Amino acid sequence: MIYRPLKILIMAGAMTLCLALQTVHGAGVWRAEFDETCAKTDDAMTLAIEELTSLIENCTRLEKAVSSEEETVRKVYLRRLQMCKNLYIFVRESKQLEVQPK
Amino acid sequence: MRTILFSVLVLIVGTSISWGVGGMKKRKLPPYEYGSVVISNFSQPAGIPPVVFDHWVHRQYYTCRVCHVDVGFGMTANSTKIRSTDNMKGFFCGTCHNGRSEYNKKRIFASCAKEYSREEYKRCVKCHVLERSVAREEEFFRFADRLPRETLGNGINWEKAEADGLIRLTDYIEGTSVKKAKMKIQRDFALKAKTEGMPDIIFSHNKHTVWSGCELCHPDIFVGVKKGATKYSMVELFDGKYCGVCHDKVAFPQTNCQRCHSKPPQG
Repeated sequence: MIYRPLKILIMAGAMTLCLALQTVHGAGVWRAEFDETCAKTDDAMTLAIEELTSLIENCTRLEKAVSSEEETVRKVYLRRLQMCKNLYIFVRESKQLEVQPK
Repeated sequence: MRTILFSVLVLIVGTSISWGVGGMKKRKLPPYEYGSVVISNFSQPAGIPPVVFDHWVHRQYYTCRVCHVDVGFGMTANSTKIRSTDNMKGFFCGTCHNGRSEYNKKRIFASCAKEYSREEYKRCVKCHVLERSVAREEEFFRFADRLPRETLGNGINWEKAEADGLIRLTDYIEGTSVKKAKMKIQRDFALKAKTEGMPDIIFSHNKHTVWSGCELCHPDIFVGVKKGATKYSMVELFDGKYCGVCHDKVAFPQTNCQRCHSKPPQG
């Protein structure tokens, strides 16, 4: 009899912990990918067109992940992602123009 | 009587036309006010004074890039829509103004709080300014005194101050900024001036990337991918486009012609 409420308490605690870890872990996963993707903005001119395309795709994927976050995180990181993605698109277009036959 | 009435009418119409064409003469800002931004999306509706953000206080410590890219502040006043809750969560102003971060071993004061005492209200008015203080003006002149001079804007040659090591800029905030490899030094290039007799513009990517990085300008401010494709006019610049996004607001004013219209590049 004594053990039943204790069991319920332990289960509730475990569920809360799982939910919290999921949130933290979830944010941690996209944050790590964001850092990796947007770390190359200063080197963008040295990257190949294929690499830039891959980075742009990463940014698009990250936008979806960030869109499910709370308001402030969305406000900050969507803007950062937009700037990062736009720069890569800009550099890719510049390189594509150079490669185009005259 | 008719002559007097006619003269008065001509005077009124003439003044109105010149006012309409030329506008009110803009007040020349004192050096301590140059670069000040009034932020008031939500303050005044909440019954507190707007925030007066002084760029000179912050740009002696941080690059433009770290605030406008990493922290996420917009490039125009009131575009970021900062809430006190954002600051309290450690974003925007709260990235540094959190009561825990330090700069040069000095604790940076916390920004917004949900509840505060009468004593703590002194902290609120550091940013939510009721009126300009003489103490702040004196603080500016004490700061500017040791830096290279310039005639316009803040009266400080920020570029020279940074190049001479008189100010050391932080381009990275732990937990916010992304670790990046050092940027390759970019070459200067010339832009042909449209007006005959005006020296060409020497644009230095190197000087700009020290403060702004790449993504602050490209592509939001400078859209053209092909060099020479975008034709810039001083009218557009004075209207706040292209170079005018920063110059005339925070960076040195565009009326300082020779800073850009200088001699052709060597070699």
